[in-house]
This record gives sequence, structure tokens and C-alpha cells, in this order.
Amino acid sequence: MPVRFLKNASELADVSWESPLPVAVTNAKPVPADTLLIATTNLFPTGERDLLGSTGAPELPTLDACGQYRKLIWFYFREGAADTTYTILARVTDHNGAPLGAGWLTIASGTLPGGANSWNRLEIPDTGDAYYDQYRILVNRTGGSGYYLISKIVGVR
Amino acid sequence: MPKVCLITSNLTRFNKVWTQVLRHLGIDYTLCVATSGGVGATIQTPQGGLAANSTDLRNYFRLFDAVILCDHALTLSETAVINYSVYWLSWNAPEDPPFLFFNPHFSTAITESAYNSNFPSDFPIVRPNPSDLAGTLYAADGGSPSAFTPLFTGAAAARGACVLFLAENIRAHVMTVCNAHGASRTANVVPYYWRLNPTQHSTLANTNYTHRVARNGRAGEILAVPAPPTNPEDTETYPSDCVVAYRYRNIFWLPHTIRSFFDTMNLHSWYTLGNWTPMLFWLLYGLQLAGVRPRYRLPVQMETDHPIESGANTPPFNFSYRQQMEALLAKHDYMREFARRTGTAIIHGVRVGGRHRTTSASFHWQMMYGTGVPADARAVAQQINQLLVAGHREGTTPCGVHDHTAGNFQGGYWLGDVRAGFRRHSGMRYGAPANVPISRGRCCVAPHVLPAGVAPPNALTVQVGDAEMVEWDHTMSGTGDTFDLPLGNIHAARIVIESEIEEMLALGFPDGHCAGHKYTNTAANASGGECYWQALKEFGFRGVRSASACNEPHRTKRVVSNRLWHGFHLITDAGFDLAHPSAGYSRGLYYPDSPSEGDGVRHWQLDHGNDISANWTTSAVAAWRAYRRVVCQGIGNWLFTTAVVLGGFYIHLGTQLMIISLSDPNARFNGWSVQNVIGHPHYNHAVELLENMDAVVRLLSDVLYWGTITDVMDHRERVLEG
Repeated sequence: MPVRFLKNASELADVSWESPLPVAVTNAKPVPADTLLIATTNLFPTGERDLLGSTGAPELPTLDACGQYRKLIWFYFREGAADTTYTILARVTDHNGAPLGAGWLTIASGTLPGGANSWNRLEIPDTGDAYYDQYRILVNRTGGSGYYLISKIVGVR
Repeated sequence: MPKVCLITSNLTRFNKVWTQVLRHLGIDYTLCVATSGGVGATIQTPQGGLAANSTDLRNYFRLFDAVILCDHALTLSETAVINYSVYWLSWNAPEDPPFLFFNPHFSTAITESAYNSNFPSDFPIVRPNPSDLAGTLYAADGGSPSAFTPLFTGAAAARGACVLFLAENIRAHVMTVCNAHGASRTANVVPYYWRLNPTQHSTLANTNYTHRVARNGRAGEILAVPAPPTNPEDTETYPSDCVVAYRYRNIFWLPHTIRSFFDTMNLHSWYTLGNWTPMLFWLLYGLQLAGVRPRYRLPVQMETDHPIESGANTPPFNFSYRQQMEALLAKHDYMREFARRTGTAIIHGVRVGGRHRTTSASFHWQMMYGTGVPADARAVAQQINQLLVAGHREGTTPCGVHDHTAGNFQGGYWLGDVRAGFRRHSGMRYGAPANVPISRGRCCVAPHVLPAGVAPPNALTVQVGDAEMVEWDHTMSGTGDTFDLPLGNIHAARIVIESEIEEMLALGFPDGHCAGHKYTNTAANASGGECYWQALKEFGFRGVRSASACNEPHRTKRVVSNRLWHGFHLITDAGFDLAHPSAGYSRGLYYPDSPSEGDGVRHWQLDHGNDISANWTTSAVAAWRAYRRVVCQGIGNWLFTTAVVLGGFYIHLGTQLMIISLSDPNARFNGWSVQNVIGHPHYNHAVELLENMDAVVRLLSDVLYWGTITDVMDHRERVLEG
């Protein structure tokens, strides 16, 4: 005896792979956003580094598998006001996660906004949509005293 | 579910390891913020802001199984860190919860009169005086300063301690810093133990006291002291009034555990090693003392890479191949017995590839069958293999593939774009003479938009994760066994993995994925990309050990932060060898003529104030100091791996092969009384790590158990968001 259910309000259908039982999704996230990264970056040393502290591996992404995200929101709290630059690099990958080519596309760069003990927010990209698979997010303290930069990045689908 | 209250006055620097560990243990928590470190602080609770000395706060705390103070000082000169907690030292009724103080700041530098007047007059530990350190504290671990601060010790630069836990009567090597002080907050800081007031303690120890955490029914109890030496060589002794952990009524006075630092541990790689918290033992012990019984215990397990491997038979050790194999055989015999005794399973990553792709004598197959290896050594290697196969079948030594020949250079999956001259196996589905695809060819990754007639009838459908691809016009292998193999595709992954499994079967193992654990530790922790994970799933694997930069040193990719890919586990790697790979092999705990990072002290930055290197040949205690620091670092890193990142702690047996005594390879460390072949202290890394961790597991029986990698993956699925 097949199990049947009312489909599309009027059609009586057998349960099958093609017409599964309807379900109500519970515990669904109320917003289409995921926390992708929480990291503390030591900016006491100078020199360009990614948010995870990587300095010697220019091909290494800070974030991977981000292809589903329309936009990334970078929240950060900077403990110091020292001049700091940021560079956001992005690229896409093939089905094995391999970049389509070497190097990166620079999608944003500039001076990191905010003073000492300030909260800040940057959208990646600032206009349009993203959908890149990988990002390498670089910061570089170019003057002043060292400090810690505390970041949280949220991906929005 | 048990529930604890965490208190901090600095939310910015609140270390997320506190909550991560509690979540993994299944302990609920409420985080309350103190508005300052002073006595006048208000404690912000879900019931509102409550004065630190209020009855309302006291009643609020009674809702919890324990209250934990999370803040610590960096120097004893500070005046207000947790001063507000002074009132709680007198909340000792049976209804009050236990309070856990870690590295508490109670120095005489505190000037607030309300603190000093409310500090219990019968408290039995001498308050540290930064102007009279020698009169109020005992310098620990040789008394040398750490170049930085011992409170911020991460995955390196440990301080050593052997602690005697009195009630349990167990000696354990756990990193122990009760307080720390230096001229600067973060440079040249010395670790200290506490000084007891024997008269006050005697009174408390003879005073009846009723509370659920007072296991001896007395108001005062010494919980732990520096363990007395077991060998006269070890002259690092402490007076009888030196303590490292104390229970004052329902107040637990415990060493440092988690540093104040803003970080989370959801994404792990070598870049965050400085943020590890290897003094985690004291939090786990404190929870157990307080009777906070976790919903989940954490499985402890260890892995090795290269169960059969040989190193250089050159100076200073000159071990022959046979001697190396005999030493390895003794180690494996011990580890199998250890696993039987404790119920754990010690995973081994068999260095495959030697059957088809290399003749190097350091590979498993070549040590057993290579003509470059003397017959007597090969015979012992074959004994080891038989022992491993038997252990694999009985569940004590599960073995899996570990291929340093798949990619280029040091190997691992997908290291390099093309593996020149790749030699595959014969038979099975992807071996010679089967003519199989070796690269992607032309493809369409969205078949629903592929126009009819473009793909030929013999096109293949390939699934990688969520992506379904139609492929055609592949580059084919031909019928031969050797070709240049493009590595970044699922066809290459299938050929590579099947060839590894074929070698395991030829070695006598029934599978290549650690039997029912369906796991292995990847070579160089390079797990490749999605195509390799997909192929591993196809061959029955549930997970592999993987670096965050999972194709390192190709370094174009990272694993996702929760380390789950379509239900496939990418277990965090945590290696603890006594030498950097660049040094070839370890020269022991310390060896004066070692190359850079060629011994444990150099590799793990343990020569604080040169108090090992300057004394090695003149003072026997230096060897004991090196031993304590190495073991404390290892156990600390292992505990962190177990409790925070739920990862895979591993060593290379061969790397530590040379430094043991050939006549008694499994002997415990005993300073210069047991020596290796070059007359330096014998040290068996596997024995010392396992036996010392066993002491910790026995101490923390409410929190830890000897488990398996399956238990780790099960627990990850239990506590991590998918």
C-alpha cells in the first residue's frame, strides 16, 4: 500500500523520490548569513600579513569556499590608531578548489578606517555582488605603535 | 545539564577557549561581566547588575554548580584585577557554590582597604608581595625568567612542573604557574608557586567543614604540591610549605589555566599556535574538584606517522638499520600493550608508496622488501608489520594510508600540479592495464544548461560534493603503469588512493582506512581539495587529518572553519616531535651539538634564560628540567588538541628513534642514570607521552577517557555545528 499525500492542494500523490513528503523546516536560520571568521591579528610587527597572520604564503587564502556569498561583512575592533592599510584580494576556483590561475584580483584597498578602540564595518565588495570562492584579506601597520586587530567576518547569501 | 557562572571584567580580552571547552564538555554557562576590577564593581547578570557584596548576588550564584573567575594579572604589582571577589571568599555555606580561582591576583600591592579588610584572616596561603618575592613565593621551574611571560605560553615555550596530587596519589607533568611576576608585564617574567602559612593551614585542616566539595570534611586541604624528586640528580626541590593548589573551604585556589586573550579557536593552523592554551589541565581539574560533572567526557587518543621508517645511520648515533628496526619493534610492542591496557586505539599512518613509486629505505615497503636494506633488518621490519597487522585486526593499532609519493617533493595529496612519472599499481579498478581517465577533460559543471549533442554518448557524470559534472574528451592513462599525472582532479585522486589501498592489502592489512574507524592521517597533513575528499568518501573514509592549509606547501587552499565537508571530517593536526623536519631526526631532549631545532629544547623554545644549555654538561638537573618542560609542553598541547580543537595529536616514531637506549628501549626517563648510545640521557618519546597522559586521564576521570579517533569524530558531530 503506497503512502499518499495531498500535493499542491488538490493532487493526491504517492510518496516517491520525485514527490517526497512535504516538510516544515525547523530551526532554520532567520537570516541568510554565516559567521565565516573570528580572528585576532597581531599588528605589533609591521609588514603585510593576512588576518590569520600568514606572511610568507601569498597564495594562501584567508577564507575559502565562499562562492555562495553575495557579500562579506567585515566587522573589526582595532585597539590602536596606528596607520594601517588593508588589501582585499579575491579569486575563484575549480571543482577541486584549485584557483583558476595564479595570483589574485584586488577588489578593495585603502587605509583601514577607525581610531583606537573603535568599532568598524566594511562591506566586501563595497558595491555590487561578490560570489568569489577565495579571499585573502591583508593588513599592514605602516606606522605608529603596535596593536591587536580583532575581526569577525560574516558571509551574506 | 551542569551549569557554571563565568566572571570577567574585560569582555574584549575574554578568551573564547573558556566557552569552547565548556561547550565540548556539555556544560552550560552564563557569562557575567564585572564593571571593573575593583571592590565596588557591579556584576552584570541576567537578573540585572548586582553589587559584588550583595545578598542578591550570593543568591544568584547559588543557581550554579560553580563560579569561575576568568581574569588574571600579568604582574603582582597590579592593584585591581578581581578585587570584587574578596567578599566571595567568605561565602562558605553549604548552599554556596564552589568558587574556582585560577592564578588569582591577591598580592599585597592591592591598596583598596575594602579588599584588605575583607580578605579572610585565616587564609592559609601567604599573599605575594612584589617587594619581597623571596619571602612570599617560591620561584618555580629553576627560577629563570621566560623571555616573554609564562602566562601567555602557547604551543611552545612551556614551563616545566611535576606535580603530586595528594588525595589521588598521582604524579603528573602539567604546566603549573601559580602567579608570575617580572620587571615588565610581558618580558623576563618568572613563574612562582605559593608559600603556605603552616599554622593557618593546620588550623583549617583540623576544622570540621561541611560542603559537597570538601571531600575530607575539613576546612582546608592541600590539593597539590611540587612532586619530590625520584632521583638524587634532580636537585630542583621545594620546601614543605610550597603548594600549587589548595582548597580553602569551598574556594579552590588553582594555578593559571587560560590566558586573557581575545581569540577563538574555530580555525586552526600553524599561524595560531601562539594562541594555544596548554595549561588547560587546571580548568579541567578545577571542574572535577567542584563536582561539575560534564555531560560528555572527552576522548583522548594519539596517532603516529610512519610506523616503519629508518633514519640516518650516521654520527652521532650510528644506529644500523637492524638496530633501528629492533628499537621500533620494542616501541610498537609497548604501544600495542598500552592500547590493550587502556582501551584506546593508536592510529598509524603507514608510509605507502614504496611498492610502486620509490626505492627509498625510509619507506615501509622498502624496509620490508628493498634490496638496499640488509636482510637482517628486513626480517625485523617484517616482524613489526606482522605486529601492526595483528593490532589492526584486534583494534589496538589501526593503520591507514599515508602517502608521501603522491604529490611532488615531500608528497601528500595535490602537492604540485602534475606528478611527473607517476607509477600506479596493477589490477583493481584504476590500476594497469585499465585505460582510465587521468584528468578532467572537457566538462560542464551545470548539466541542466548543457545543449543536447555537445557531450558525446560516452561522457561521464562525476559528482564532487554538491557539483555534478558531465565530462568528456579525457586524457587517458593508456594501459601502462607510468605516466605524468595531473593531480587536481577526481580521476587522479581515485588512482592515487586505490594504489595506496592496494599496497596496504599487499602488506597484509584488510583495508587502508584504519578498519572501522574509516580514517587516516594524510602525509604532510596535505589532504588535497574537494576531489580528494570526494574520492576518499568513495573509498569508505569518514575523515582524514588535515592542515588548515590543506595542500601545503602548494598553499592555494584552506579547509572550512568547522572542518566538515559534506559530513567528511578534516581533523586538526597537532604534531609534537622533538625536532623540526629540517633537522632530519631528533638528537634528544637536548644535545649540545645539535643543529637548529634538532632537539626538543631547541624546537619547542624551552631553554629559558639558557638554564638548560648553560648547565647541560655541568649540572645533572638540567636534563630533568628539559624533561619536565618537554613533557609538560607535550601533555599541554595534547590536552588542548583533545578539549578545544577536537583534533589529532601525533608523533613520528622514527624521528625519535636514535635517542633511546638500545639495551632497554622502553625504559622511563631517569636522567643520566639511563643513557643512550652516545652517553646522553635516554628518552623514549612514545612511552613518556603515553604514560604521562595516562596519569592525567586517571586524574581527570570525570572529564577524560582513553578513546579512539571514532570517538573524536562522533563527538565533533555531537558538539559542532554542521
